[in-house]
Amino acid sequence: MKEGLKMIAVLTLICGMFSVTLAGLKEATESRIEEQVLTYVQGPAINQVLSGFDNSPVTDRMKFTVHGTEERVTVFPALKEGLLLGVALETFTKGHGGEVGVMVGFNLSGENLSGIAITTMKETPGIGARIAGHGFTSQFKDHSMDVELTSKGGSIEGIAGATTSSTASVEAVKQAVSIFQKIKPQITQAWPGGS
Amino acid sequence: MSKLWKEFSKGLWKDLPPFKVVLGLCPVLAVTKTADNGFGMGLAVIFVLTMSNVLVSIFRKIIPPKVRIACFIVIAASLVVSVELLMQAFAYPLYQQLGIFVPLIVVNCIILGRAEAFASKNPILLSAVDGLGMGIGFTISLTLLGGIRELFGYGTLFGTRIMPEHYKPFSFMVEAPGAFVCLGLMLSAMNIFTSWQARRKGQAVLDNPGHECRSCGICSR
Repeated sequence: MKEGLKMIAVLTLICGMFSVTLAGLKEATESRIEEQVLTYVQGPAINQVLSGFDNSPVTDRMKFTVHGTEERVTVFPALKEGLLLGVALETFTKGHGGEVGVMVGFNLSGENLSGIAITTMKETPGIGARIAGHGFTSQFKDHSMDVELTSKGGSIEGIAGATTSSTASVEAVKQAVSIFQKIKPQITQAWPGGS
Repeated sequence: MSKLWKEFSKGLWKDLPPFKVVLGLCPVLAVTKTADNGFGMGLAVIFVLTMSNVLVSIFRKIIPPKVRIACFIVIAASLVVSVELLMQAFAYPLYQQLGIFVPLIVVNCIILGRAEAFASKNPILLSAVDGLGMGIGFTISLTLLGGIRELFGYGTLFGTRIMPEHYKPFSFMVEAPGAFVCLGLMLSAMNIFTSWQARRKGQAVLDNPGHECRSCGICSR
């Protein structure tokens, strides 16, 4: 009995001690990690989906509340000489092997997509992972906001053998489109529009 | 001092992981595509191994023997999560490359092996030195293996071109089977060297377990 109590006590003590340490460390590194993700993941993705800007979309980013929901989204603006050319925002959906993150760029002038880039995914290498390839993502360049896979009567060709991954990325784009349409008034208010 | 050196240096040759103890093969095979990756993984392992040895040694008197493995795992896992967080915060590109293999350090047998075989029975300083030595040995092995695979597989070393322009990369080396073949060749080279050294010193050469049917006993029954 005494031995059992000691085992429980020691295990609890050790686990408790390390949880406190880890929680502290997580708190201490959080802002720094966010910064690193912005530089190494979201930054390059923004450069792929937006073009012709002369500001830094990452430093000029702003958070908006989606109308009617509590959801907060971070919007990255592309400005040229202070005028808004387009914006990018990131959405997540569930893929085959976890979350699929898609950065979606919008042209403000033509009301169409300026491109998409995959930021995070854990899809099967060689099959689902091909959604991050140029062949798949380039289909979204200058595409209208109405995206759908060919199998569902749209014009985006999915990847053979990777229906879940293709659907997940298309869903993420759709989600981004609906968010964009909801927050568009706020965006144009925040940054003066161009063209 | 000599005892300290003995514990430190055994990780560098006598018990060199992964070749001599053949533990922790999962990261060895998986992340040694390039010398850079091997080196980064090795550094993470040095940190986790030394710290886990120190912590296990500190707690060795209060950890009840029946739950020791659980305690060791909690210690190793917490350290690995710390490494992951620190890597994300300060070396994001390395984190992107190592990806899944950082969390896998938890189940790296070397960590648990050293905790069980050494740190739980020895004072703090000796355990720290043991972990450091083993970690450095592991890093050197991984960098070397990664270097060889990178040199033949991509024609580069630490990202700089070594092989002449017209060298056609032997891509087999950077695929999974190449890791096994390369590790096997290095192991056999080390064994040849060890037995040559023993013969020169006039010691008995350690023979492989006999390959005759008598020693096996499975089919003779």
